[in-house]
Amino acid sequence: MKILPRNTLLERNTLLERNTLLERNTLLERNTLLERNTLLERNTLLERNTLLERNTLLEVRDLEVSFQGMETVTVLSGISFSIKESETLALVGETGCGKSVVAHAIMNLLPPESRVKGNIEFRGKSLSEMNEKEMAKIRGREIAIIFQNPSLALNPVYSIGHQLVEPLCVHQKEKKKTALYRVALALKRMGFVNFSECMNYYPSWCSGGMNQRFLIAASTILNPALLIADEPSKGLDKKCITELEAELKNLKMESKSALLLISHDLDFVRRLADRIAVMYAGEIVELANSSSLFENPLHPYTRGLLNSLPEKGFIPIPGFSPPLNSLPSGCRFHPRCPLREKRCIRVHPEIKETGEKAVRCFLYP
Amino acid sequence: MFSISLRADSISKIYGAGLLSEGRCVFQNVSFEIRPGETFGLTGPSGEGKSTLGRVIAGIEKPTYGTVYYEDSSLSEMKKTKYMAFRRKVQIMFQDPTGAFNPRKRIGSSVFDVLKLLKIPNIEHASKTKEMLITIGLSEEVLSRYPSQLSGGQLQRLAIGRILLLEPEYIILDEPTSALDVSVQAQILHMLKNVQTEKNIGYILISHDQAVIRFMSDTCGLLESGQLRVIE
Amino acid sequence: MNQFDCTDNSCMKEAGIEGFSEKKSEGSNFEFPEETSYWIFQKHKGFQGLFNRIGVFLFILFVLMALFPSVFAPYAPEERFIPYEAPSEEHLLGTNDIGNDILSELAFGARISMTVGFMAALISTLIGTALGLCAGYFRGALDELLMGFTDVVLVIPKIPLIIVMGAFLRPSIWILISILGLLSWESTARVTRSKTLQLRGAGYVKSAQCMGFSSYHIMKSDIFPNIIHILFPKFMLATASAMISEASLSFLGLGDLSMKSWGMMLSFAFSQGGFIRDMWWWYMPPGICITLCVLSIALIGFGLEAKEGEHFKEGANTL
Repeated sequence: MKILPRNTLLERNTLLERNTLLERNTLLERNTLLERNTLLERNTLLERNTLLERNTLLEVRDLEVSFQGMETVTVLSGISFSIKESETLALVGETGCGKSVVAHAIMNLLPPESRVKGNIEFRGKSLSEMNEKEMAKIRGREIAIIFQNPSLALNPVYSIGHQLVEPLCVHQKEKKKTALYRVALALKRMGFVNFSECMNYYPSWCSGGMNQRFLIAASTILNPALLIADEPSKGLDKKCITELEAELKNLKMESKSALLLISHDLDFVRRLADRIAVMYAGEIVELANSSSLFENPLHPYTRGLLNSLPEKGFIPIPGFSPPLNSLPSGCRFHPRCPLREKRCIRVHPEIKETGEKAVRCFLYP
Repeated sequence: MFSISLRADSISKIYGAGLLSEGRCVFQNVSFEIRPGETFGLTGPSGEGKSTLGRVIAGIEKPTYGTVYYEDSSLSEMKKTKYMAFRRKVQIMFQDPTGAFNPRKRIGSSVFDVLKLLKIPNIEHASKTKEMLITIGLSEEVLSRYPSQLSGGQLQRLAIGRILLLEPEYIILDEPTSALDVSVQAQILHMLKNVQTEKNIGYILISHDQAVIRFMSDTCGLLESGQLRVIE
Repeated sequence: MNQFDCTDNSCMKEAGIEGFSEKKSEGSNFEFPEETSYWIFQKHKGFQGLFNRIGVFLFILFVLMALFPSVFAPYAPEERFIPYEAPSEEHLLGTNDIGNDILSELAFGARISMTVGFMAALISTLIGTALGLCAGYFRGALDELLMGFTDVVLVIPKIPLIIVMGAFLRPSIWILISILGLLSWESTARVTRSKTLQLRGAGYVKSAQCMGFSSYHIMKSDIFPNIIHILFPKFMLATASAMISEASLSFLGLGDLSMKSWGMMLSFAFSQGGFIRDMWWWYMPPGICITLCVLSIALIGFGLEAKEGEHFKEGANTL
């Protein structure tokens, strides 16, 4: 009498297990990037409505960075922007316009010969006044950064798993076992089906795209409130970029962290960012919503930049962007501007906000 | 019949082929032809041997099978004098503009080295260089700079300019703009077009960016899994 | 940059011509770029800078001593006075067993010690650079051959060989120089080769090859200027080590008796009883001179190496 129910229990158990296994498998299979994206779009649509009501996460006001060497070079001046929670802000601009310096200034990673003025506030606390110890706590846990070159940011002598476990053990003082478990979960989330194998891989075994994903996993494992991606698409081929894009989208949806995206790839930025700040020669010239920036660019530089995209037929902006140690007087874009007036040559325009847009040009009061 | 062209005749490249191993085939039976003034665009996924094909045509690497013909004479059977002429006439430009110039030499001395190589008398150096700088749209100021003081776009211009001094008939452009920003890319592409119409140079443009290929080339080839598909 | 460039062809030409006339109106003839300077001293801050400056100062002092010994020496080196005299106003560092003034001896010995050091270092650097460049640039069989040869040279023990040579030949500083020079180039060769291997993959070397420059020209004008910053500190350190080798060999009695170097002075002080009688003015000065001279050269060498490291960092940043 007692044996029967036991059997049925056993059977039930095995059935249950089987079922869960099946479900897990199907989940894994379903976890393909494309399907996630449809989910994601719905979510982002929902999220966008609430964008205005969210709290400001990071606020940068009048940031000015200069490097002191043989001569003092002011690399950034008058940089102001804010990032709200789970929002994506992109910094776009040409090489050498100081995009990466912004990221380094936020993380307090600038070399000692630099001087920083202005205010960087993270959740109401000023980052620039923090000492190294407090900063170290925030780095990685609250603000994470993905560096440019994935194969250089990973240490070739340690396995992926080892490198990903490290921040957990250091920051959250977790035991190795639980940390490993969390890493496995994170890798699974990144879309690695064979995540347990991946833990034993070495960086040199993997492609650039895979390494990039490991890095994203590494920097998001602690669920940072803000993720800074410094040229994540540089040096990757088309296929890897689409993968990366899906990953970042996914991340925004799942962990609801804000993203500061630094890139020169306009297409890439267009598909990811909520707002875009266009930088030229060390200052922000235009800041607007992603869609309105692409549909109705205001600043002549932004227009020129968009015209040089393949879709518009590679119409170039004449001239070169000025080196930061010899900037032109007045508006920094005036030597290349088709619409320049006399005052552009003499007076340096201030950035003016009109509605949701901010433009640094005399044409838009 | 004598024809002025650069022609690849069913060339294949196989790496690591030996007695025991078959080796890795990069591309097989690739044939195409290019004349001065034309642009042949070469595209395809990365790691499929676009650059290798470029280097084989430039004569830096030898094809495993097949021949590259320059003005109807085979590269492998060329005499030394003819080969030196070929070396001048077919030039290759690499992707990374920052590495194209010796970092310890001023741009000017890198440029003058080329003129010395061509045995051009010293008196003409200045005028030749000026002419070249006008073509590429840079001021003379750059000659006294070091490569690290110039932007990627400027260096890429200079790299083209230095090649132009050799008066080539064909230039193989290996991803000329993929290391550059979009706005600079547009400038360089336009400059390349202008140079082509002015000097009647044939380009083989290697790029992974389909838009660039479409914009620049007359005929276009897609290199995929070792095979070349030519599209008009 | 005050000149615009318009990608429109006509516009571009205009801009170019504008620049052309501008230059002409200045009346200056096209400035040819000057040769790259290899002067690599830099003002360091803190201790390193201080050490660097001390090194340079001492080195200049010793070089002056070697070039114009008569300025420093109060008497001719072979002039004889009362032997075994303690330092006095007349003889600042006293005299030795045969009555030579030690300060004069010291000043004249500088030339010999430094000649040996520099000549040996020059020979070894020249051989090492040439072999390393060829091996690294041409690769293949030549590389294997040259590096094999380097390994063979590496295992030849220097000092015993010189002792053997000294036993068979009449000891002279020229033999010393050639042996020290011919047997100490292997590390230079290895460093040069590895750097050359790295450089030959660089874009500018590749494009120079494509443009049809000769191998000799590429090695001379593209690769060599990029390794000289490594070679110079190597040369300095080789000088220091050659000077030490010379001193120790002279001390062992294998030096050239006719050329009285610092090492020989030490050797005489030892054999003629300077140590036993505790005549510090006899054995201390040459020892101190050797130490200071080697130290100054090493300090300069280290300074240069640090500079090279910084340069490398800068290069990495600009990339």
